[in-house]
Amino acid sequence: MPFTAHDLRYQPEQSYPLLYAYLHRNAQRYLGSFKYDAFEVDTVIGHVIEQLVRLGLFAGGDHTPPTALDRLTDAQFYTFLSRCIRNKAIDRLRKRRLQVSTVAELEAFEGDEQENDPLDAASESLWGSSPFSTPEDITIHLASQQALRNILKHCIMLLKAAPQQLQAVIQEMQEMGADELLSTMLEELRIQYPPSQNPHISQHKDHAHKKLRLCLQQQSSNLTVMVALRLTLYTNQHATDTRQYTVDIQTLAQDDLSEHDVRAGLHELVTEGLLDWHGEEVVSITAPQMKHLVRFYKEE
Amino acid sequence: MNDHEQFEGKTPIGGAANPRAGDTYTSGKYAALARWLQQALGEAPSTTATPLASEGEAQLELLLGSDYHLHFYQQLPDFVMALLSNDSRATLHYAPLLYHLASCRECHQGYLELYDAMGAAVHLQKVRPVLGQGTRTLAATPQRMLGHLCQVLISQAEAVLRQARHDHTHDDDTARSLLQLAIHIGAHIGQSMIRHQALHSLVRVATLFDGPIPPREPDPAVRTYIPALAGSGGARGHKKIVRRAETGAHPANQEPAVILLQSRTLEGSIYQVGQTLELHLHDLDEQLRGHYVTISVPLGSLLEPVRWLGGNPRAIRSSVPVDSSGQLVTPLGQTELQLTNPEDHNLLEVIFMLLEVRPA
Repeated sequence: MPFTAHDLRYQPEQSYPLLYAYLHRNAQRYLGSFKYDAFEVDTVIGHVIEQLVRLGLFAGGDHTPPTALDRLTDAQFYTFLSRCIRNKAIDRLRKRRLQVSTVAELEAFEGDEQENDPLDAASESLWGSSPFSTPEDITIHLASQQALRNILKHCIMLLKAAPQQLQAVIQEMQEMGADELLSTMLEELRIQYPPSQNPHISQHKDHAHKKLRLCLQQQSSNLTVMVALRLTLYTNQHATDTRQYTVDIQTLAQDDLSEHDVRAGLHELVTEGLLDWHGEEVVSITAPQMKHLVRFYKEE
Repeated sequence: MNDHEQFEGKTPIGGAANPRAGDTYTSGKYAALARWLQQALGEAPSTTATPLASEGEAQLELLLGSDYHLHFYQQLPDFVMALLSNDSRATLHYAPLLYHLASCRECHQGYLELYDAMGAAVHLQKVRPVLGQGTRTLAATPQRMLGHLCQVLISQAEAVLRQARHDHTHDDDTARSLLQLAIHIGAHIGQSMIRHQALHSLVRVATLFDGPIPPREPDPAVRTYIPALAGSGGARGHKKIVRRAETGAHPANQEPAVILLQSRTLEGSIYQVGQTLELHLHDLDEQLRGHYVTISVPLGSLLEPVRWLGGNPRAIRSSVPVDSSGQLVTPLGQTELQLTNPEDHNLLEVIFMLLEVRPA
C-alpha cells in the first residue's frame, strides 16, 4: 500500500502526492465522459481532501484525536476514499447532466461497465438508505425517544429565567399541537393551561430558539439529564430514614460515564436547585427532590 | 419494558436502534412535537454554501468556510461508526451532535457522505484498491491542487483558532502546525500568482494568534511592503525590473538571489549575502531620513529557518539610519536557506508576504 491513514495524519507532506494520485485515478474512473476534464477531476479530489483536513485526519498529527477513520484497516480506508470520490463524482455528474439537453449528448456518455457509469447504479438519492437521511427523520427521532426528549424538556425548563421567552415557546408548542410534552411541563411549572396569550410574543421567540439550540447542543445538558435519570433509577431508600435516598457516584457512572462526568452533571443539578450535594462520594436525595426528578425525567 | 431499558436504549422506542428513513416514526403521537422542534431548531440558511464553480475556473472553491462547526464535524466518524455497529446507545451518547445535525445543513451533509462511505468500507466484500499510477512528488502534483491544499489548511487553522477562542481554550500549536504545513506546501508552487492566491489569507490568520484585535485606522507612518508578483515589475532607477523566472520553466541555477518587494510606488528588495538576508529600501519618506526604523515581518515567527536580528521578527531595528536620499540597507537575519534554490526562495518569499517599516 503506498500510504495509510497514519501516513496522512503524521506525514502529510510526503503522502499528499500519493493520496492525490490515488484519488485522481478513482475520480477518472467515476467521472465517465468527464474523466479528462481536469477541473471536474480536481473538484472531486479537492472535495475529499478538504473533508480529510476538516475531520482532523490529514495533517492532524497528535493535535486532533484519532477517530473511527484511523481505526479502519488499510483496505477499508482505501474503500472509504474510493466511495467518497464516487459520491462526489455522481454529484458532479448530476449537476453537469442538468446542462445536457440532447439525446445525442446523453448517449455520448461513456459507460462500458457499470462502475464506469455510476449514475446508472446510483439510486434516486445517494443517502436514501442512511438513518437520519433528512432533518425530519432526526427531529422525529429526537421527539420520540424519551431520553432525548428529556434533554429538550430540561432545556425548555431553563427558559424559566426568561419568562417571556418561555411563554413564547409554550404558545408555539400549543399552536403546533405538541400537547403531551407541554402538559408535563405546565404541570411542573404550575402554569395555568393555556397560558395567557401575549400578542408581542414573536419578538421573544427567536431569542428562545437560539437559547434552546445552544442548550440542546451542549454536552453538559446531556450529562445533566443522564445523571438526573440515573438518580431516579439507582438510588436506594436510606436504611433508617425512609424519606432519604442515597447512591454513590461509582454506581451513577456505570460503564459509560466517568466520575468526572457524573460530578459535572451533579453540579448542574445543584445549580438548578434540584439537588443538595457538596461533592460527597455518596449523594443524598430527599423525598421531595426524588419526587420532582421522577416526575420530570422518569415518565411513561 | 421499563424506564431503565428505555433510557439505556436496549429496546428503543419504535423498536429500532438505528432508524431508517420512512420508518414508523413519521406518524404518531410525537409528530407534532417533531414539527415544532424542527421549527425551533431551524437556523437561517448558511451564507457559506459553496456555489457550483464554473467550468474552466482556475481556483477550486472550499467546501466549508472557517466558521464551520469543527467541534461537531470531527465527532461524525465516531458517531457514524457507532450507528454502523448498531450501538443502541449511539443517539443518546451523541445527543448534542444529533440536535446539531437537525439544524445544520453543512454538518448533516457531511454526516450523510461519511455514513455512506464508511458503510461501504465496513461492509467491504473484497479488497480491490485502484492504486494511482500518477505523480509521486509535490513538484509533479498540479499547482492548482497544491494551492487548494494550502487554502484548506489555512482555513482549517482559522477554524481551530476560532473554536479555541469560543471554548476559551488554547490550541495555537494545532493552528501553527497547519499554517507551517501550508507554507511548506506553498513553497512547492512554482507559479507565483497561484502561490499568492493560495496563501493570501496567511497573514490575516497568523495575526489571530494575537487574539482579537480591534479595527484600527491605517497608520500613515507605517510603510507596508508585499512581494512583487510576476508581471508586476516596475522601474527601479532607470532599469525595468524583470521578474524572476518561474521555477517550473527554468533551471534552478538561474534563480535570481533576490525577493522583490513593493509598496505602492515604492520598491524594495531582499538580497542574500552569505547567510545574511539584507533588506534594501529606496525613496523612503523625508520624515524617516536620518532616523532608525523598526521592521516587522509578521510571518517570521511561524517558521524558524531565519535567525532574526534581535530575536524578534516583529521588531527588527535597522542597524543604520535611513540615508539622506531615502535609502536603507540593513540586515534582517541569517539563514541556511539559499535564495538561489527555488524552493528556499519560495519559502522565504512566503515569509516576507508582509513587511512593515515604521519609525523606531
